[in-house]
Amino acid sequence: MYGLVALGYHITWATSRTMNFSQGHAVMVGAVVAYAIFVALGWPFPLALLVTLVALACFGALVERVAVRPFFLRASPAWLLATIAVGIIVENVAQLTFGKDARAFPSPLMRKPIMVGSAGFYPQELLVPVVGLCLMGLVQLFYHRTSYGKQLKAVAWNPEAAGLMGINIPRAVMASYALSALLAGVAGVLLAPLLNVAPQMGTIIGLKAFAVAIIGGLTSAPGIILAGLGYGLVESFTAGYVSTRAREIVGFGLVILVLIVRPWGLLGEKPSRRV
Amino acid sequence: MIERLGWAGLAVAAAAIPLLTSNTYYLYVAISAGLLTIVTAGLNVLVGFTGQTSLGHAGLYAFGAYTAALCATRAGMGEWMAIGAAIIVTSIVGAAVAAAALRVSGPYLAMVTIAFGLIVESVLIEWGSVTGGPGGIFNIPKPVLRTHYWTVMLAAALALWLTANLRRSAWGRACLAVKSSEVAAESLGLSAYYVRIAAFTVSAAFAGAAGALFTFLNGYISPDSFTLQTSILFLLALLFGGLGRIAGPVAGSVALTMLPELLTKLLDYRLILYGSLLLLSIYWLPEGVVGAVSRGRRVRTPPHPHAPHPHAPHPHAPHPTLSPEGRGRSESRSPVTQGDGVLLIASGVSLAFGGITALNDIDLTVNRGCIHAIIGPNGAGKTSLLNVLSGFYAADAGAMTLDGRSIGGLPPYAVARHGIARTFQTAQVFGGLSVRDNVAVGVAGPRLGTAWAALAGTPGCRARETAIRSRAQALLDTLGLGDVGDEPAEALPAGLRRKLELARALATGPLLLMLDEPAAGLSPAEITALDLQLTALREHGGPAVILVEHHMDLVMAVSDRITVLDYGRTIADGAPEDVRSDPAVIEAYLGVPT
Repeated sequence: MYGLVALGYHITWATSRTMNFSQGHAVMVGAVVAYAIFVALGWPFPLALLVTLVALACFGALVERVAVRPFFLRASPAWLLATIAVGIIVENVAQLTFGKDARAFPSPLMRKPIMVGSAGFYPQELLVPVVGLCLMGLVQLFYHRTSYGKQLKAVAWNPEAAGLMGINIPRAVMASYALSALLAGVAGVLLAPLLNVAPQMGTIIGLKAFAVAIIGGLTSAPGIILAGLGYGLVESFTAGYVSTRAREIVGFGLVILVLIVRPWGLLGEKPSRRV
Repeated sequence: MIERLGWAGLAVAAAAIPLLTSNTYYLYVAISAGLLTIVTAGLNVLVGFTGQTSLGHAGLYAFGAYTAALCATRAGMGEWMAIGAAIIVTSIVGAAVAAAALRVSGPYLAMVTIAFGLIVESVLIEWGSVTGGPGGIFNIPKPVLRTHYWTVMLAAALALWLTANLRRSAWGRACLAVKSSEVAAESLGLSAYYVRIAAFTVSAAFAGAAGALFTFLNGYISPDSFTLQTSILFLLALLFGGLGRIAGPVAGSVALTMLPELLTKLLDYRLILYGSLLLLSIYWLPEGVVGAVSRGRRVRTPPHPHAPHPHAPHPHAPHPTLSPEGRGRSESRSPVTQGDGVLLIASGVSLAFGGITALNDIDLTVNRGCIHAIIGPNGAGKTSLLNVLSGFYAADAGAMTLDGRSIGGLPPYAVARHGIARTFQTAQVFGGLSVRDNVAVGVAGPRLGTAWAALAGTPGCRARETAIRSRAQALLDTLGLGDVGDEPAEALPAGLRRKLELARALATGPLLLMLDEPAAGLSPAEITALDLQLTALREHGGPAVILVEHHMDLVMAVSDRITVLDYGRTIADGAPEDVRSDPAVIEAYLGVPT
């Protein structure tokens, strides 16, 4: 469910015009932490989930503090490289502590497939989009209905004015990073049983989610959700009819195509030029 | 001098390695550093000079490597032929990628280049019949390692020399100008898109050359060498060495090639180390190792707190440099005809942002050699009108002609090429360039010559450089900036920045000069100087001027004609005296005289 991860890009982009390029690694961290607590330590699942989510929020805040805040006001792509650097470090630390091998993540929803005609699918596969859509709904509610969500939107619109209104901008940006990592963590826990847990899983998920965010439009949450669904469908079709490798070629080719035709994404706002 | 010694030392060291050791391992490591230098030197043109980040150069590197390998194995070409073919193919691919990718910038561009890299990698693996699939291509005839060492070292030296030439040329300045302020660069006739494509293509050619040399180093290639990690490594080497510095690629490449070799025991920690290094160099070495070293060495000259001659604009000195010239169309604009006749006609210009009308059916006629002021309360649409005239905003309706040619709907750089120059409300000088080079960007305008000539530093290119510089210096002298020509432009105080912007706009030899609040933030003495300059400009057959200004004393003193805007409409238009006494103008803007 790339949409969920991609939404994380949207959240931080909307507040700060920056993005966490280690978003995919946050997914991986979510899966690894959940694995460590739930499988290795044997804690009950709800508790494990809670700890994972808290850990991820902290991870997001940390990324913001280390890799984004120093460069937030400088109009430079330094944050882009800095978050990539964090991603590299996190991936390799995970490799050292967790090992390179993928491990299966048990889930009660993976035991027996539901058969529809000749094709079967696991309940877990159904759970991913359901939870994903619910979370997206919650995020939308948060932005439109709560005062803190409105504050974040204000920061996105005009940081200077928002700062003058007494909004703590660094904290708002940090909150958006924490929220975005949190979503990635949920995605990690949901995907773990489907994909197995491995430190290398982050990069490609992060890239595909980024592709989805670009296709849908970084400024538009509904656009990203639609693009997430569409991208997933296109991928499984190409994988089914052509080959697994062609999946990536088609997927990323699609991104380039969208950027050429509509650089601001399917439902994104067309940026106006400021002089 | 120290710089030259440094380069000489480096050359000696490079030449000494094969004499001192017969260990092929050391040669191999040195060649790897050389290859990395070539790629990063090219990347420096794109990222360091032009400010665009690419995370897909491994894909271009792969194009070079595979083209060379295929030429050598299937077409039976010799090494040099194969390298040449690789450079050509990679340049073409690079130009095509750039044309598509550079329509976007920032994180979007990063995404496109990442996607390009991943697609290339996937195609290499999938298209087994040509690329050999995951196993790659084997049995490529390879030269003796020692010979290859010399080839690569010479190529690396050549790469650095070429980028140094480029940096000094009109192209180099154009790249830096586009990086620093795209808007200002376009107002001088440069197409940012075109400049970026050129920079990307140059960097692609370098990557292609390095890829081909890489092929002949190993005798086999496989997709493993061309992953996203490789692209990140390229960028890291450049950042660590020093973005935008000529020596940066060498320092970064040597460091990043040596480091893992020294730390072979810590293999598992290697990528962690890379990541940390990247983070640390972004934090503490924004200009890389080279930048840090040269900064530590340089004796800091105190910045000029004031203009050297704030009161000396030389109003009565001859203005040999101010009249429009050098556009190849001067025959239609002999000094005799100036001062009469219509230059700019805008009719029925309208512009709305969303539902808000910024300009409502504006007519404006500007005569040659006139100073035409546009005044009005804040939000009246003055700056919007300038932005429409200079092509930054597309008008919703209306027609505009300059010197009889339609400029409606043209992009800013095309409007600039027709002969409109402008300044901005907040002065936009090009950081990273000296004051003189800022003006030189204007002097050269879109006439950059070929990128090849700039890279090779041909005699013709150098002669042009001398001419451009002397004209830039003459302009600086005229405006009283002559003494600060070598200062970095961003170090200038606000008043001098405005002056510099004016000099740069005049440097394009415009027919029409548009000044957006040139007096804002100036001291009274500086305003007097500006007054004299504008008057002198008119007396010496300079361009027509559109002056948007709130400083009424200045407006009344210099203007030949005044147009008053309010709520996007023209409420008065005429001679200064008439406008001053117009009741509508007093009501809307001037207020009752006390």
